[in-house]
Amino acid sequence: MNYYLTVANSYIFYFCGVLLFSLIALQAVLYIRLNYQEGLKIGLTKSQMSKALRSAAVNSIVPSLSIVVAFLAMVPVLGIPIPWIRLSFLGSAPYELMAAGIGAKAMGVNGLGGNGYTAEVFANSVWTMCLGSIWAIFMVSCFLGIIKKRYAKVGREDPRWRNTFVNAAFVGVFSIFIADPVSSGGLPLATLISGAVLMTGFAILIARFRTSWLKEFALTFSMLGAMLMSILLAKYFA
Amino acid sequence: MMEIKPVSMDTSAYEKKVHLIGRVTLITGLLLTFLLPINLWLKFGILPPFKGLLNAFVSITSLMIPVSLVEILTFSTMMGASAMYIAYLTGNITNIKMPSAIIAMEVAEVEPSSKEGEIVSGIAMAGSVLACEIIIVLGVLLSVPLSVKLNNPVIQPAFQQILPALFGSLGAYYFLKDWKLSIIPLIIAILLSKFTKLPTAITIPICVFTSILVARVLYKKGLVE
Repeated sequence: MNYYLTVANSYIFYFCGVLLFSLIALQAVLYIRLNYQEGLKIGLTKSQMSKALRSAAVNSIVPSLSIVVAFLAMVPVLGIPIPWIRLSFLGSAPYELMAAGIGAKAMGVNGLGGNGYTAEVFANSVWTMCLGSIWAIFMVSCFLGIIKKRYAKVGREDPRWRNTFVNAAFVGVFSIFIADPVSSGGLPLATLISGAVLMTGFAILIARFRTSWLKEFALTFSMLGAMLMSILLAKYFA
Repeated sequence: MMEIKPVSMDTSAYEKKVHLIGRVTLITGLLLTFLLPINLWLKFGILPPFKGLLNAFVSITSLMIPVSLVEILTFSTMMGASAMYIAYLTGNITNIKMPSAIIAMEVAEVEPSSKEGEIVSGIAMAGSVLACEIIIVLGVLLSVPLSVKLNNPVIQPAFQQILPALFGSLGAYYFLKDWKLSIIPLIIAILLSKFTKLPTAITIPICVFTSILVARVLYKKGLVE
């Protein structure tokens, strides 16, 4: 094993991970409490809010597996605790890999974990991953209050348009992620279509039988179904 | 005319708390993540040469300032303040947190742009984060047996296709909700993805902007509610 990997897997970094995990959990609990109290004040019911909490948690399980997959791919190069921490804190697999790559490149090394990826190059990767997230944290901490006030002004003038506006913005973001499998074709496209068909099926069931509990799980079910389809269809796209 | 509501005093106390919790946790989180390189340096004596560090800092900064700015301006139109702070502490925003928050608002029957939506999306994001962190910790604890299992070629496709599975399902949800809003942004996105290699930092703003523009036209013509 490389010397730097022994360092990277040192217990001290696991300890940092536990600290960060506690901070994230604390923030989540504080916001759940605060929003619950405020929600009751403005007329939301307990069951509405509990249902939202439950469905969000359940629907996050399957997509979170993609982080575990990315994590496992990073372990051979960066050890266990550092990818764990980086993927939990303002993390996304593409960003971390790109930042780690930039850190290595700045030292004249192409690629992660190969020959020449010394302890110093590794340290530069870690510094780069951390330095890159300064800006977003800085901007949100300093300016979110002001940005929100500005947007709220627009919203008060025409609330109905603001609703359509937000839905349109969501559609804009997600269309990017829908477009990639469409343009690549093959198994990703087949999986995308399977997901869409299953979700449509669930929507029909929900409308016909008024099964509101299904609403909470439809996303998870249709994702799992689409993933299962990708296993069954894989041999046709090999 | 803008109407002044008597509740506005009360909501501002809530908002102050949201921003306070958010700022303290985000900055603490940033300091905690810097424990990694600082420990490498002080405990193990591993420090990259200054030139390499500066070089990397300039590259990542010139990339991340515009990316972060555009993302924050875009995302803060869609999510409440508490949802934003949660999203920015933990990341994985578009692939996990946003989709689950949207379904949660649907389940609770609130509109995303309302005050109710702001509160429900904050609760949903927090629930999403807790589930997500638990899954990651399980992944860390089980990393050795898991990497063997996941390398099994039979089930490999399922894990490579998580994102198409998610966005196929979510895409159908939006298409059924209002197909008129989704059709043009989708065409633009497919063209961008097919004929360019632009990063999402550029393509997301293009698609969001087009989508809002289309929505505005449809709204003015009374074609969407």
